[in-house]
Amino acid sequence: MSEVQRGEVLFEMKNIEKIFSHVHALDHVNFDVRKGEVHALLGENGAGKSTLIKILTGVYPKDGGQIFMEGKEVEINDRDDALALGIAVIFQELSLIPSLTVYQNIMLGKEEGKFGFVNARKEKKDIQDLIDRYGFPVTADATVETLSVAQKQMVEILKALSTNARIMIMDEPTASLSQRESEILYKIINQLRDQGVSIIYISHRLEEVFNLSDRITVLRDGKNAGEVEKEDIVPSEIVKMMIGKELSESTASRSLHESDTEVELEVKNLSRLGYYEDVSFKVHKGEVLVLTGLVGAGRTEVLRSIYGADPYDSGEIIFEGKVIKPRISDAVAKGFGLIPEDRRTQGFSPLLTVTRNVATTNYDKLAHGGFVNKKDEDELGKKAVEIVDLRPANPNVVVGNLSGGNQQKAVLGKWLTRDLKVILIDEPTVGIDIGAKDEIYEFVEDLAKQGVAVILVSSDIAEVLRVAHRIIVMREGKIIKEFKDGVATQEDILLASSGFTGDEKEVAHE
Amino acid sequence: MSENKKSFDIKKLFGNTRIIVLLVMMAFFTIMRPRFFTYGNFVNIMYAVTLIAIMICGAMFAVLLGGIDRTVSGNAALSGAIMCVLISQKFNYSNGGAIIAILIALGGGLLSGLFHGLIMSRFKIPAFLLTLSTNEVLYGIVQIITGNQLINNLNCELTNYIGSTRWLGIPVPVYVLLLCFIIGYIILNHTVYGRQIYSVGGNREASELSGIPTRRVIIIAYMMSGLMGALSGIMLSCQNQQASASQAKNYENNVLAAIVVGGVSSKGGSGTLQGAMLGALLIGVMENGLRLMGIPSIYHDLAKGIIIIFVLALDMMAIARRSGLARGIFSGRKKEKKEAVASE
Amino acid sequence: MKQETVRRIISFSLLVILIVVLSVTTDNFLTADNLINLFRECSVVGILAVGVTFVIISSGNNLSSGAMLGTVAMVIARLYHSTALSVTGILLCALLVAICLGALNGFCVGVLQIPDYIATLSVQMICQGLTYVLAIRTPGGQITNEIINNATITGFGGKFLGTPIYRVTVAFFGLALLGQIFLRHTKIGTHIYAMGSNRKSAEYSGISFVRVKMLVFILSAVCSFIAALYLTGRNATTDVASGTTLSFQAISGAVIGGASFAGGRGDMIGTVIGVLFLQILKNGLLKYGLPPNWQLLLSGLVIVGMIVFDAAYNEYMEKRTTKAAAIAREKKGAKS
Repeated sequence: MSEVQRGEVLFEMKNIEKIFSHVHALDHVNFDVRKGEVHALLGENGAGKSTLIKILTGVYPKDGGQIFMEGKEVEINDRDDALALGIAVIFQELSLIPSLTVYQNIMLGKEEGKFGFVNARKEKKDIQDLIDRYGFPVTADATVETLSVAQKQMVEILKALSTNARIMIMDEPTASLSQRESEILYKIINQLRDQGVSIIYISHRLEEVFNLSDRITVLRDGKNAGEVEKEDIVPSEIVKMMIGKELSESTASRSLHESDTEVELEVKNLSRLGYYEDVSFKVHKGEVLVLTGLVGAGRTEVLRSIYGADPYDSGEIIFEGKVIKPRISDAVAKGFGLIPEDRRTQGFSPLLTVTRNVATTNYDKLAHGGFVNKKDEDELGKKAVEIVDLRPANPNVVVGNLSGGNQQKAVLGKWLTRDLKVILIDEPTVGIDIGAKDEIYEFVEDLAKQGVAVILVSSDIAEVLRVAHRIIVMREGKIIKEFKDGVATQEDILLASSGFTGDEKEVAHE
Repeated sequence: MSENKKSFDIKKLFGNTRIIVLLVMMAFFTIMRPRFFTYGNFVNIMYAVTLIAIMICGAMFAVLLGGIDRTVSGNAALSGAIMCVLISQKFNYSNGGAIIAILIALGGGLLSGLFHGLIMSRFKIPAFLLTLSTNEVLYGIVQIITGNQLINNLNCELTNYIGSTRWLGIPVPVYVLLLCFIIGYIILNHTVYGRQIYSVGGNREASELSGIPTRRVIIIAYMMSGLMGALSGIMLSCQNQQASASQAKNYENNVLAAIVVGGVSSKGGSGTLQGAMLGALLIGVMENGLRLMGIPSIYHDLAKGIIIIFVLALDMMAIARRSGLARGIFSGRKKEKKEAVASE
Repeated sequence: MKQETVRRIISFSLLVILIVVLSVTTDNFLTADNLINLFRECSVVGILAVGVTFVIISSGNNLSSGAMLGTVAMVIARLYHSTALSVTGILLCALLVAICLGALNGFCVGVLQIPDYIATLSVQMICQGLTYVLAIRTPGGQITNEIINNATITGFGGKFLGTPIYRVTVAFFGLALLGQIFLRHTKIGTHIYAMGSNRKSAEYSGISFVRVKMLVFILSAVCSFIAALYLTGRNATTDVASGTTLSFQAISGAVIGGASFAGGRGDMIGTVIGVLFLQILKNGLLKYGLPPNWQLLLSGLVIVGMIVFDAAYNEYMEKRTTKAAAIAREKKGAKS
């Protein structure tokens, strides 16, 4: 169908370099897009995909390399430059105006008409024509808030099409779509390709990547790890590329075994409509249980339900042999702790000092008849700074002014100063530099050694293998695999989370 | 290093642009009217800001939570009306009756605060819009209670005593203010509840996840605000020996102005009670000075409006300068000076 | 169904119910005289509400519209009293003052990024102060309310082209209509909705926050000017306290009509409904012989009820959306 356009290189990035505080986030990366192809960009978290995309769309400046559009060298300094070149991002977090109609949204900021008036009839007709050309199941004058998530995404795509985008970037576009909706999106992608639009497709769902892509580029540790044409796609080979063959067995795998200590917390058939279903597991004292899987697999939601931050529909949570109905304040009193996913919005009060933040979880100990003992509080602050090795080692700095890693340490400090029994940790190292990461792993290990039951949610497979005693893989709200005895490798986990189980992994997609 | 720390502390205490503005203002008024700088006049200033300052001791809690409570004036009017009506129509001006009336009036403020707390902690509503409207409702209730009549000649020993006695030359309400300030200061700085206020105001979700009962924190804050509004209304009625259907009207604007000028962030989570008091003082000094200069009080609103915008604009510039946004606007000398300091 | 449609149905039914109840239970509600008067009484507030609606849709509020009316009215009175300017000149000057005050609001909110309610509160104070500064005084310093005996100005208080309807009513409905066309059919109108609904994505689409805020506050100020014109025309004089209580009524009208305090929703039709509702409520309370004391309470309760309802309704809609998405995901889980 699309042979005509194939082969002609439209856009090319050569030897792209990006350095963040002495770390090569991108190291001479090459990437090109042909006209009318779906080019998948694969790699683990931190491989450099999003950095590359941000350079491509003008969010970050590049530190080296060249970018060519149709053979001519171009500079992309901001979003407008990217748009002018015909590069558009289909936003993951939808950026539409809910109270406006489809055509108003698409034409926002570039309305047609004379004397300041909008020529609504023409806009509506033009947009409806555009919709009809692609056969999308939306109408031009529907209000966006009445649309489903998938339809909203189509509006985003239409918005890009209306700017004559030649290259569309889709980052995890199916993350919040149902199966049927995803299939409609695949159809649309194929249509776009046939119309000569190039698509850069990023997804952790390997199955769909293998089905959709004409070509796959794999990044690893900020470098090109390989490029594969559609005809040559072998799933297991691609996974090996993503993980890296040169990694020694010891870091790429880990021997696991179920702890033989007492069970501290047990979750039985826990379900919440639309988030997770029939989740059961046990955590032992001194054990690090890792819940892994893709973003949106329901891991965070399970953690929050255990902590009492969100409700659940059915099932039981058993703590030290007794069934509990968690509420946050009770949970904290019982010795639970939560290190949330997004520390900026959920982890700390940015305007308060380290001491004050640390103290928020400790008032049961600091208060005497409702009054705070300031000396004890300061002691606690100092203790926390010492425990987590905060830099600067000053309990009176405002947390909002700390670096990401130190902010996370301050959040850790809130809980490490307490006598914990269960700690729930959600993606603790996102956006944190390598040095601080290691320290955080050490804290997790220490906690386990002290007999605390740790449940850690992570998508970073290296991290999973580094800290886990036992691994549970979740996918679309269900536990699909548990690694508890023997050796788990990076490959096993990656395949399990992206939907391949057991024998399937050697089977090609079609 | 130690010097650095000291200057930082002062800044934290009051927000030093305010101190400078206050000092400049005081110097100006002293030069223009030497009578300004006398003990008697300072007592006058204190007396003038007392009612507003008592309200601030409560409204501050709502502002620290990122809200605002415009009902302080309605609560004051309500409590004044309740007290006066009860004393004059039910308790026949007896002292015992006055105490009960005062307690009931305070209860009215608490109840109004509870209502606001329940709604504000449950729904996402801009606090100013809700309290703007409920303030009208409160005045409506006051109109009904008073029958839209002035209730005057409150011939009751106790209320007269509160309203007109001076201890050591200072009116009783000023002592009440002092007490409120001390209590408020202690709550905000030395109690768990105070810590929780700052935490919830800074980041409600994080506080919730740390086990802080955020709804309770919010409800109590609005109840404090209602209580202080009511107390202030009682003082007002005691001073004037009367209650009217429109008493304390527009006081909430002064309260808000003082809090904002006092460096309390309208987004919540930062600011101190002493800062807000300084704001009240600043406005009090300004009004007093202008009056001494023979400018009638009707113009003071103009000055207040300008000073709020001025102070907030100063803040804005400070933020812009810190984040380097204002390179274009604040280039030149200031920047060089900063660099010179840095190189030292 | 569209959130706005539901909201429109609710506010419209409230209005209809109120009208029906009053028509049935009182015998002099549905008379021409009463209705003409009713429309006259609500029109000044209505004109202010039209201006405030722009601001609310852009996700903000304007506490200064009433006070600004007072200032503009005083400018007119002062210039008429103390200068020999022609009426056109006077009105142009007054309009200019209004625009400057509106721009001050826009500057504080847009450039200085002061929260709307603090900025407009400050401007409200400034306006009230200015009104006093401009007030006409006797040689003894007493403020007097001088009569403006100019036929052009007092003409604004008269009736429209020989009909029994007052000019101010025509102006209110005309402005509402213009405002509606502006909001729904011009580029900038769309931009106001977009900015109010989602500032970030509006800015992504190249819409400037400062420009939108400037514009809505200047529009609101122009409405204050027009309202001042008709109020002065009707009273043939102005008072230092003119307009001070009208801001709240204007905001109430807009909010009852469905202009959402979260921004991005509402329009002039809703505002007209809201303003009429408040006026008819007031009128009905009088017809029932309720003491005027109850008016404030009841209209206050209505607006508080509406605010809480809107918040609850928004929350319900949000929950429904999340739930729908969750159910969609659930189906996916079942299939795979």
